[in-house]
Amino acid sequence: MDVHANRPIARSGYAILSAAVLFAVWKLFSVATASDIILPPPEKVARVFFGLFAESRFLTALGATCVRGLWAFGLSMLIGGITGFASGASRRINALLGPALLVIRATPVLAIILLALIWFPSGTVPVFSAVIMAFPVVMADVAQGIGSADPKLVQMARLFGMNQTSIAMRVRLPSALPHIVAAAKSALGLSWKVVIAGEVLSQPQYALGTGMQSARVMLETTEVFAWAAAGIVLCALSDAAFALLARRFSWTTV
Amino acid sequence: MDYRIENLYKSYGQLEVLGGLSMELEQGRVSVLLGPSGCGKTTLLNILSGLDKDYHGSIGQLAGMRSSYVFQEDRLLPWRSAVENVAMVLHEHAEKAQALVLAQKALALVGLSDSASLKPSAMSGGMKRRVALARAFAYPSDMLLLDEPFSSLDIKTRISVMDLFLSLREDDGRTAIVVTHDVREAIYLADRIFTLSDKPAVLKSCTNVSLGRQERAYASATAASLEAQLYQLLLE
Repeated sequence: MDVHANRPIARSGYAILSAAVLFAVWKLFSVATASDIILPPPEKVARVFFGLFAESRFLTALGATCVRGLWAFGLSMLIGGITGFASGASRRINALLGPALLVIRATPVLAIILLALIWFPSGTVPVFSAVIMAFPVVMADVAQGIGSADPKLVQMARLFGMNQTSIAMRVRLPSALPHIVAAAKSALGLSWKVVIAGEVLSQPQYALGTGMQSARVMLETTEVFAWAAAGIVLCALSDAAFALLARRFSWTTV
Repeated sequence: MDYRIENLYKSYGQLEVLGGLSMELEQGRVSVLLGPSGCGKTTLLNILSGLDKDYHGSIGQLAGMRSSYVFQEDRLLPWRSAVENVAMVLHEHAEKAQALVLAQKALALVGLSDSASLKPSAMSGGMKRRVALARAFAYPSDMLLLDEPFSSLDIKTRISVMDLFLSLREDDGRTAIVVTHDVREAIYLADRIFTLSDKPAVLKSCTNVSLGRQERAYASATAASLEAQLYQLLLE
């Protein structure tokens, strides 16, 4: 094993190298295809991407997508947190919710979006679809976290006369926190992706997905890339925020 | 006054762990249960602590008594500081602020006033063991139950933590029941040593130890003879 790969400077060096290789390959293919409609070069996508920030339609769309993403994330955390806590604390509830969870997780995201299109107005479709996709992830992680509390610590708390509520709040919940942070990270990342996919199909008035779809219809591939880059940036920012949080709650390894 | 344990039987399925154990533990003194590993000593502590209620026989007045536990491991919450770990067991008995004051006092008694804000990951093995002792003594209990509490420590730390335990207990006066498989540790700590047989555990012998601290520490002739006698009993 290369021990140097674990050093922060070495790690960021590898990250820069990896990005450079990715952009080089992208540039190579764009030169080979010689067509902006098929594959625009990275520098042109970057120019269009930064240019979008001067446009109010982009900023409004970005804001609207952020609000939908955060709604989806919040609802996923709430539903997944409650069902996960119950499932982790009780084997019966776990057995009861297991099959439903399996069906939801096995359902293709597009099937959920198409059904949501029938049931809900266009602005609600992305949020609903993202919640359906993300809450099982949260539930599974929270259930695992609740169940992962060290039985010896739980026994210690019992022997020192703590009641079940106290044990849940002081031992089980903090034990689960690293898992909950991991769950939140996955849920937010998934929320951005599904929300944007839902927007592409449901076409709300203001949305990154709508912008992406409009650009596709106009064969503005460069703009499709630029709108997509906004989604990638959202994912990257939320990943970075949760990486910081995960370090804060790193008393147990997940 | 003595606490009587009479005809205690305990089985896990076909495996008989306690086979009619009877003994008299001295109130306000240190009783040491000495026996081979896995002979049922921890099972007995679990019964005394009320954790295990599935047994036959009687533990007399010990039933329902509140106990403080010191475990083989530290069992400290890794996300809490030393003072919070001690205060945590006091929350059901005192207001939060008062629990913290009591915890701080308990840490001062074990010489950790300056380390109250440290988390377990930043503490040495000896420090964590002192926090575990502070937690046990701070908890308002009727007796102290210690399950091989010093076995994981190196010899120097072990002696200093054992001395600390003995002096705290002497000031405090609580009944203490210590489980160990280490003959020297038993001699060092005990006012009375109960030697148990291998599974199913029954009482082999009860020895009162009236040696002074110095004699125990430096293995005097009397201590050495007692040690030989206990080894003989364990190996029989």
